[in-house]
Formats: sequence, C-alpha cells, structure tokens
Amino acid sequence: MEKELQRLKEEAEKELEQICEAQHLEPFRVKYLGRKGGLLSGAMKQLRTVSKEDRPRLGALANSIKQEIESLFEAKKETLSLPVASARSLDTSLPGRTLPEGKLHPVTQVMEEICSIFEGLGFAVAEGPDVETDYYNFEALNIPPHHPARDMHDTFYVTDSILLRTHTSPMQARIMENQDPPLRYIAPGKVYRCDSDITHTPMFHQVEGFLVDRDVSFADLKGVLTSFTHNMFGKELDLRFRPSFFPFTEPSAEVDIACVICEGKGCRVCKRTGWLEILGSGLIDPEVMKMVGYDPDVYSGFAFGLGVERIAMLKYGIDDIRMYYENDLRFLSQF
Amino acid sequence: MKFTLSWLRNFVSLEGITPTQLADKLTMLGLEVDAVEELYTELDAFITCRVQSVSKHPNADKLTVCLVETGEGEPLEVVCGAPNVRAGLITALARPGVKLPDGTKIKKSKVRGLLSQGMLCSASELGLSSDHSGIMELDPAMEIGLPLATALGLRDTMIEVDLTPNRPDCASVLGIAREVAGFSKQQLSSPVSRLTPLNGSEVDFKVVVEDEGLCPRYIARKVSGVTVGPSPDWMQRQLLAVGMRPINNIVDVTNYVMLEMGQPLHAFDFATIRGKEIVVRSPRAGEKEFVTLDGNSRQLSEEMLMICDQEGPIAVAGVMGGLDSEVSDQTTEVLLEAACFDAVSIRRTARNLNIPSEASYRFERGVDPDLAHRAIERAAELIAKYGQGTAEADGIDVYPGKKELLNLQLRADKVRTLLGIEISKLEMADYLRGIDFEVSPDLGETMQVTVPSFRIDIEREVDLVEEIARLVGYNEIPTTQPKITMHYPKRDSLRSMRQTLSQILTSQGFYEAINYSFVTEKHFDALGLAEDDQRRSVTRLLNPLSEEQAVMRSMLLPGLLENIKRNINFQQSDIRLFEIGKTFFYREEGQLPLEKQQLCGVICGNRYPNAESLYFSDDRADFFDIKGVCQHLITTLRLSGDQGELTLVPCDQDSCQSYCDPSASEEIRNGDEVIGIFGMLDRRVLEAFGIKVDVFLLEIDLDSLSRLPVIAKQFQSLPKFPSVKRDIALLVPDHVPSGEILQAIHQQKQKLVESTQLFDVYRGKPIEEGLKSVALSVTYRSATKTLNDKSVDKVHQKIVDSLMTQFKARYREGSEL
Repeated sequence: MEKELQRLKEEAEKELEQICEAQHLEPFRVKYLGRKGGLLSGAMKQLRTVSKEDRPRLGALANSIKQEIESLFEAKKETLSLPVASARSLDTSLPGRTLPEGKLHPVTQVMEEICSIFEGLGFAVAEGPDVETDYYNFEALNIPPHHPARDMHDTFYVTDSILLRTHTSPMQARIMENQDPPLRYIAPGKVYRCDSDITHTPMFHQVEGFLVDRDVSFADLKGVLTSFTHNMFGKELDLRFRPSFFPFTEPSAEVDIACVICEGKGCRVCKRTGWLEILGSGLIDPEVMKMVGYDPDVYSGFAFGLGVERIAMLKYGIDDIRMYYENDLRFLSQF
Repeated sequence: MKFTLSWLRNFVSLEGITPTQLADKLTMLGLEVDAVEELYTELDAFITCRVQSVSKHPNADKLTVCLVETGEGEPLEVVCGAPNVRAGLITALARPGVKLPDGTKIKKSKVRGLLSQGMLCSASELGLSSDHSGIMELDPAMEIGLPLATALGLRDTMIEVDLTPNRPDCASVLGIAREVAGFSKQQLSSPVSRLTPLNGSEVDFKVVVEDEGLCPRYIARKVSGVTVGPSPDWMQRQLLAVGMRPINNIVDVTNYVMLEMGQPLHAFDFATIRGKEIVVRSPRAGEKEFVTLDGNSRQLSEEMLMICDQEGPIAVAGVMGGLDSEVSDQTTEVLLEAACFDAVSIRRTARNLNIPSEASYRFERGVDPDLAHRAIERAAELIAKYGQGTAEADGIDVYPGKKELLNLQLRADKVRTLLGIEISKLEMADYLRGIDFEVSPDLGETMQVTVPSFRIDIEREVDLVEEIARLVGYNEIPTTQPKITMHYPKRDSLRSMRQTLSQILTSQGFYEAINYSFVTEKHFDALGLAEDDQRRSVTRLLNPLSEEQAVMRSMLLPGLLENIKRNINFQQSDIRLFEIGKTFFYREEGQLPLEKQQLCGVICGNRYPNAESLYFSDDRADFFDIKGVCQHLITTLRLSGDQGELTLVPCDQDSCQSYCDPSASEEIRNGDEVIGIFGMLDRRVLEAFGIKVDVFLLEIDLDSLSRLPVIAKQFQSLPKFPSVKRDIALLVPDHVPSGEILQAIHQQKQKLVESTQLFDVYRGKPIEEGLKSVALSVTYRSATKTLNDKSVDKVHQKIVDSLMTQFKARYREGSEL
C-alpha cells in the first residue's frame, strides 16, 4: 500500500512537470484529484481495506501526498495563466494591461478648468436657459432694438421676442434682478449665433462672470482677470488690456495674451500681431445697473466673458472649430 | 475702415512713427488694427531703364529691337511694339521671370526670330492706370535700375481698423488723424480752409424736408459746367488702395470725401431732377418699386425714407442712389447732397433692402450733423477742380435738427474710484482737451466738459471716464484684488450630479460627446415616435442655417446615432459615447420652452473598445453591458426610490419606447414613474440611421434623477465570524426569469442569508428542451457565532425546497459542484 502511494506520487509529479498548456490541467485534475474516480481518491478509499494499526499512518501519508499534489497543481495552474505559455521567462516588454476608460469632451475639460479657477476665487456657478427672451439677451444689457451692436450677434430667433441666447450674459441681469450685492457669479453654457465656417460654429460655449459690490474698480477687474489668465495659461505669459466696446460695460476692455503659437513673434493664428484675444470685459454699465434697480453711485462691478472653444483651441492647438461637434473618437481620445 | 499712411499724412505728421508702432498705438486706443499691408510691393519686380538705341525688327514692320540699359551689366536686347519707344526714353522694364499684375509671366523668348530679354511696360500693363497708348514715359532725369515703386514715389502702407460700433467718428481718415494728433500732441490740419455760406437765396432749386425727425440736416449745392471723365491718378490710387473701384471724377470725389471726412455724399445729375425740387419724405401710396443705381428693382415700404423730386423717388436716403438720376458721361450739372439721417431708420431700410453700403454703415452708427457743411465744401471744390466746373456760390442748408453741444459734469473722484488710479484734475483735463473736448478752466472737484459734436457716443459721465482710461492707457492702470466679504458660494446640485455622472461614465469607458442643440425633425419619424408624442412638440427656429438644424432637440439619441455612424465610417467601430445636455419642449406661444437635462449613452461593437486581443476577448457588447452601466450609476450615486429601491422592469410590448426592442429593454422606475430606459435599439431604427450593427442605449431624465433620495453612507461593522457558502443547481422551466429565483430567496427573509449570486445559466444538451439549468450560490453568516453544517443545512434545505415548489424546479443531476 505504501509503495503504491509513493508510486502514485512520483507518477503524478512527473506528469504535472510535463504539462505546459493550460488545457491539459483539467484532465490531470480529474485523473488524480477527481472526487469520483480520481486515482488518489481511489487510493484513499482502499484505506478501508488495510489493517487497523497501519490505517492512521497510511492515512496521514495519503493525505499529505494528496495535499502536496494539490499544491503543485495550483502552482502549475498559476504559472500557466501568465500571458505567454512560457513558465520560465516573463516577457516584460509586452504592453501593460488596463481597463479601457473614456474621456470628457475637450470643451467640458476646459470649461471645468475655467469654472474651477473662478470657484477658487469665490465665484458661484449659475446656469440659465439656452432659449432666452430678447429682453434678457439684449435690452437688459443696454442693447435696444436696432442698436448696431446687434450686428455683432447674428441671432437665431424663435419668435420676435424669443431667441437662442447669443451670450451667457443674460444671467447677469437675471441674477442682479433677484439678489442684492455683493455678488460674484459665473455662468457657463452654450450660446448660439447663425454663423458657420472654419472659425465659427453656430453653437459654442461661453463662460460669463461678474462681480458687484461697493467700490469695485477697473484695477480690480485687471487683478481678477490677471489671476485667471495666469492660472489658465501660466505666469510667464504676457498679457495686455485693450480698450474695446460692449454696450453693457463702460469702460470696456479686451484681454489679449501673447500668442501661444509663435510666442509673440507674429504668425497666422495671431494675424501677425503677436497677440491673441481671449476675453472681453469691462465695468458694468450704469444703465444695466439702473435697469435692475441698483444705484450706480453706490455699487459698481465688472463683468467678463470668454469663449471656451477658442481657449481650448489655443491650449491644444486645434485648428478647425467644426471638429468639436463631430464627436470623432480619434479626436475625443486625444485630450 | 481702411486708410493709407500717405492719406493720413495730409492731416497729421507721422514723423518718427513706424507703421507697426502706429498700429500698436491705435490698437491700444481702442481702434483695433486688423491688418497692416505694404502697398505696391508687386511693383518692386519692375525697374527703371533707359532705351539706348532703337532699330527696326528685320522680320516685322511694327516691331523694333531696342538696346536697354539697366545700370548693371551689358545692355539687354528687347523687342518692343510701342509707338512711342525712342532712344533716350526712361521707362519701365520687366525682366524675364517677372509676373505682370494680370498674371502673365515674362520669359526670354523669340519674337519673330529675335530673342527678347524682357518687356518694356505701359502703365496699364502695370495696373497703374488705364493708359495703354504706349510704354511709360518717366522723368528723363530719373536714375536707372530703381525699383518702380520707389521711382514713382509709391511707397505706402494700408492699415485696416476693425471699428467698434461706438466710434463712427473714426470711420474716416480725418477721424483717425484726430486720434493720432491726440496722442502725439500735434495740431490737426483741416482739408477745408473756408466755408461758403449757404443762404439758399441764389439757387435755382428747392429743398423740402417733410420728415424732420428722420432727416436732421440736408444740404444741397450745385456744381455746373463739369466734364465727366476719369478722376486723377492719385485719387484713383487711394480709392483702389482701400478697396473702392474708381468710376468717374464726380462719383470718385463723393467717395473720396466720405472716406476722408466721414460724411456720406451723393451726386445727382441735376438735369434729371424733375421740377428742380428735392423732397425728403416717405414713399407715397403707389410708390412701390424703385430702381437703384446698381440696376436692381427694390420694393419700397412706408417706413423708408426717400429722396424725391417733384414726381417721385430719386434715391433711397442714406443707402443708395437711383439709376435714373445717376451721374453719366453726359452730365454737366451736378447736385451734391450732404445730409444727416436717423440711424435706426437707415439701419432698418438697409436691412430690409439688403443693401449694406459704405454710406449706410456710417449713418447707422451716427454721422455728426455738423460735418455736412465742411464735407460739401470739400467735395464741391474737388469736383470743380477735377471736373473743370464751377461750384455755385450758394446752396441750401436745411437744418431742423441742430443741437446744442452736450455739457457733462465730471467728478474727479468718480474717475479715481472707478479706475482705481491716482490722477490729477489737470491731467484729466489735458487728456480730454487733446481729443477736442472742452474743459472749463476752473478745475473744481466737478469739472464741466463740453463734448465735441463728432463724438456722438459720449453721453454720460462714465463715457468720459472711459476716454480718460484709454488715453491713460489700460496697461498703466494698476492691478489690485477686490475687497469683498468672504462667503461660500452656493453649489448647484444638478451641476454636481452631472459632474459625478460624467466621471462614472468615463470610468466605464465612455467618451463624452457634445452635439448641436438644433436638429432635424426627420429624426422623429426614423425613431418611430407616435404622432402625438410630446417630443414632437418642438421649438422651431425662424431663421435656421439649414433644415438639418431647424428645431431645438427634444432628445439626445439622434445626435449620438449620427456620431456612431460617422465613427464607423472612419473605422472606429467599438464605441461608447454619452452626452449630458438640454432638451427643449414647446410650452405655448410667447413662453420660453421647458428645458430638461437628459443623459444618453450608447454602446456598440466590442465590449472592450479597441482592446488588444492579447489580453481581452473580442466579445461583442450586449444588453448586460448597458444594464451594468445603469446599475453601476445607481449604486455609485447611492440613489433610492421615493418608496423603496429603484426598480428595473422589463419593457412592456405596448408601452416600450418605439426605438427600443421591447424584448431586450428595461425601464428604470421610481415606483410607477419611469425615469429612464436602457436596452437594445430596434434594428429598423438603426437601419434608418444607416447603422448596420446592434446598438445599446441608456436614456435617463436627469431632472427626475436629481430629485431622488440619496442613501446615506452608513458604516456596518465587519463580520467577526466566517461565512459558509452553499451552491444550488436547479433545472427550471425556460421562461422563469433567473432574477426572480434570487428575489425569491431574499423574500423568504431567512436570517442567516447574507448574499446570493448567480454563477451559471445553461440551456442545451444534455438538458432537455424547455428547461434551463440555473446555478447559484448562497452565502450564510451569523453575527453571533461560527455556523456549523447542521444549522446551515437546515436553512439551505428550506430554501431549496421552496424554490422547487415555487418554480417547479428539480435538481440537476450529474453536476459536479
């Protein structure tokens, strides 16, 4: 009996040694370790036939042999589950394995980055309707009907008095109408203009922001927007404030950064000026304040707006704005 | 607004300023320079030369062979056909390799058997004028070998400024010059030295302004005895340089003066004015059509303003003249108009007729009514000079809208607090005076400022603050941080939920898509939506770019299906895309639509997108992938229903969304409320979208989702005693949902049952038809002791027995578990 067990052990060890493909493991297991009809189980059953005094010793031996074969079997199984069927050498040059993960749209990524910088400065986020009234989109922002500034906004209309917002600035009027200063808000969202070519899509994203309190000055506007620009584009980048015109701010300023493509030397992207326009801003016009019932001699504030696609284009070097809305995986997976 | 530096220099010195410096300075003053272009650089390819000798071409009567000196190297042999070629002539030479403005390339070539080493050019061949009678005849004293632009003194630069709507005063060379004079502290020269008084007494025509509100000023003046012909070369060059086509000496002068001074002008052929009377009025009933000078017939409407004679309209005021009263070659008497019209009226008319013109551009933004007199003086002088006529000594000036200059109070302290700078009253006054504002000499804390008439944009104190800011220079203003009370900003819960959802979905392999908010209605039919489906009541655009983008979307799915199609076309077929965005539902006339946030996700192709088969199987994604995403979302967001858990319920054949396959779709329910659906898309729908593979979708209403209660995180102490696992393999009728077997176990509420898990479902041989094998395991644990076989067996047997009866099940035999 004892010899029989030893022979079984040697045989099993030898057979296991020779196995080098996972498909041969299961037949081995059934042959030796199977509960019904396995050779080792069979040997165990035969223990009933040996004498009483030999039974404990042989039983212990049989058990230890079974455990040994089981653990060798498990070890073999582990080795064979490695990527290539060579148990001896691991080809570490093979690529690593990760579960596939998706990504946020580059516009969302940049928008979130913009929002989080302003949230860090204490601005709250508010979102308004995409379909707006003419009143909030234009009139409350000091753009009466037939104002030439309406030319700057190629507007999609739903009815004479309802339209797709051309900027997210209507939130400025909506919030100021319902709350008293001090106020610090940003309003991210989609905006629409009927214009479509290599540099314009009929829908794009904006983040509008404003701050109202007592004694807010143009110098404060410069301070906040400089903090933003430095956080968004890096501290080394030159920036400048340049007079401009928006009907809802006075004085109005456009903010330019040194061209990120040519580093200010002049290229096609910056129209050889060395500067890139990134946002529009200004002190909130007293007319806008009066319309929501604020006294412009008590309160002042500033507002700003920036185009998300444009900033994403500058950050990532995207050269055709239309790609944003094709949702091509080859595009989306790059950011 | 375009201008040339040579034109600008007529009014202000540009000494010591390079074109680039000028452009920077203007930009920083709020006149953004869009382009700085060197002019006539194409002429640098041509050089001056002297004709040394001329001999007859041996093989052609009309050709000559010239020896031409260029100042370097041997004289060149050039064949020439011009009648005025002669020895000693200084002219322009195009050498081989040079391109003429019309695109012709000059080559060394044989002309009638003789080699010609270039071409002698006429002014018309160089695009300098219309003169093509012979080759150019240049100053006999001119040096040879000079680039032609230098030789002709044509070095010039064109600058284009992108004007903001508030600065119509700068829509003229003079306006730009005024800004330059302001920053360089110079005196501005005026193109007009004296004004002819216009009394209206010695004229043979009349002017009647019927609508004074729409026409604050109208001046008319006659120039007689003119000969219509080409305008002088210098004037043509200036017009061409800023993109205007020269026409004749009369029209060119009106354009030239408009560009120079900012006052739109019009010239009528006086002979065509019936009754010798100009009437400014709206069209009368019956005056429905009018032919403008571009030959197009225009529909008139009542609110337009017309310039008429005694019998009818002769021009659309401020927009475009009429064909019949246009100056022609036969014109000898010209009636000049310099007027001021209401900005809104002109804007409406130009819009309605769709004729944007240089004149309407200026009127829409506002023209200084004080300018008309000086402008008509300048135009009359130029027409008299270059049309060999006489400007009549009188004219008519109707000026019903004359206004006093605006006086504003400027508080020095307001300037300082609004801008956040230290600045003295004297400095403020100096800046304003530099651009022609008057500031009263006693500089009190509140200053009296008189606004010049051309600055129609300055109406309030704050406008003066802006003037000071831009003259100081925005970059000279310091950078400070606002002093503001700290408070924690409010958080928008829907926004945070969107952010979390996006994170979960990207971690599940989804890419975020953003599609246009406007779509085509055709999608609804492709999706098989019922006629009365609420999603068909859309918000429609009045002026869409195309039918494909005509209505606001009421669902996100169509956009994502288009994205799938596109990606498959570009060989990206393993797709997981999601979009979170607004959908729009029409409410009623005059109301804003209801905006609802939706989440839509789609899966198609392989389970592991683009995974290397080295590690992952290339199995196709199926229903359970999308179901898993849905369950994962619910558990990660820790959402519960209002009463009990959210449930996933198989779709009903009748109530299932038309675009889903009811046999492979489930609804997400909060009680009876359906908040979302997931499953397989109907293949007919996919076919309508041109997609040939199966697509699985998840569609959730975020507004409903965001209202659901969130299960609080609550710590459960870790088990102290081991668990015991028991397996069951049952044969049950095929139609029994496996999930119900698990539910049945939990419904027994056995205390020791900790969890259950399905681990195998099998149909097919050797199992008999109509049955399936369901294998599951139950984990038992007690919180108070280590379980022994006996106590587990008892419970386990109870569970098995009840399953057997409930599902008419039996043990699967021969299974080795």
